[in-house]
Amino acid sequence: MEQEFHIEERVDRGLPVITVAGEIDVATAPQLREALHGVIAQGQASVVLDLLAVTFLDSTALGVLVGGLKRCRELGGELHVVVTDARIKKIFEITGLNKVFPIVDALAEVGAS
Amino acid sequence: MIEESEVAGSSTLGDGDRVVLTFPARGDLVVLARLVASAISVRVGFDIEELEDLRLAVGELCLLALQGSDARHGDLRLEFTVSSASLDIAGTLVGAVPATARRSADGDEANELSEQILAALVDEHGREQEDGSVRAWLRKRRKGPLA
Repeated sequence: MEQEFHIEERVDRGLPVITVAGEIDVATAPQLREALHGVIAQGQASVVLDLLAVTFLDSTALGVLVGGLKRCRELGGELHVVVTDARIKKIFEITGLNKVFPIVDALAEVGAS
Repeated sequence: MIEESEVAGSSTLGDGDRVVLTFPARGDLVVLARLVASAISVRVGFDIEELEDLRLAVGELCLLALQGSDARHGDLRLEFTVSSASLDIAGTLVGAVPATARRSADGDEANELSEQILAALVDEHGREQEDGSVRAWLRKRRKGPLA
């Protein structure tokens, strides 16, 4: 059974973490955009996006991520992506975005990336 | 409204079979296209990787069909056609009017990404204007002969 779309925000080791679960597509991506922009608007230059519980991701979601990354970098920060699912990683790979985003397998690895 | 779907009633789909799905052209309903694409992929004998590829590709096809139009008043009609060599999917936006605003701030980026994803996942794809409607299509060839 598909997991319900859900977004949570928290702070881990001083970095804002946005955790997303479920499918991020044209219907749900606006909620992610709102969360990302909200965190960045609070003055956070670097954000961690935890996609470990994401089951599907389309081009609309990637567009939101790219927009978020640009905003972070304008502020001198970074948008870190945490993902392990091979299907989700494949989408980053076929669009070449695996070379653009710092992608790690676990939240604990963010500082090391 | 779902106009027609005969997926649930048959265990396999073969050469010449066709499934048509029509639904209001809204982003929150694109999930229906993905669900039907998954069901059809199983019934034509695609493996799990091909199924996942097609699920993603059909969603992108829907986004391309919706692109540039105010789809709130239209329907998206998807036609899945099975042949011995491939599965063809065509999405036609009917009854919509040209958009007066961009899809979103990230829309241009997403359109480019849609094209990249389709180019990587399917064998052929395209988008054209046809009799005042937008039509996007894709072809996923079989790895082997029809089971």
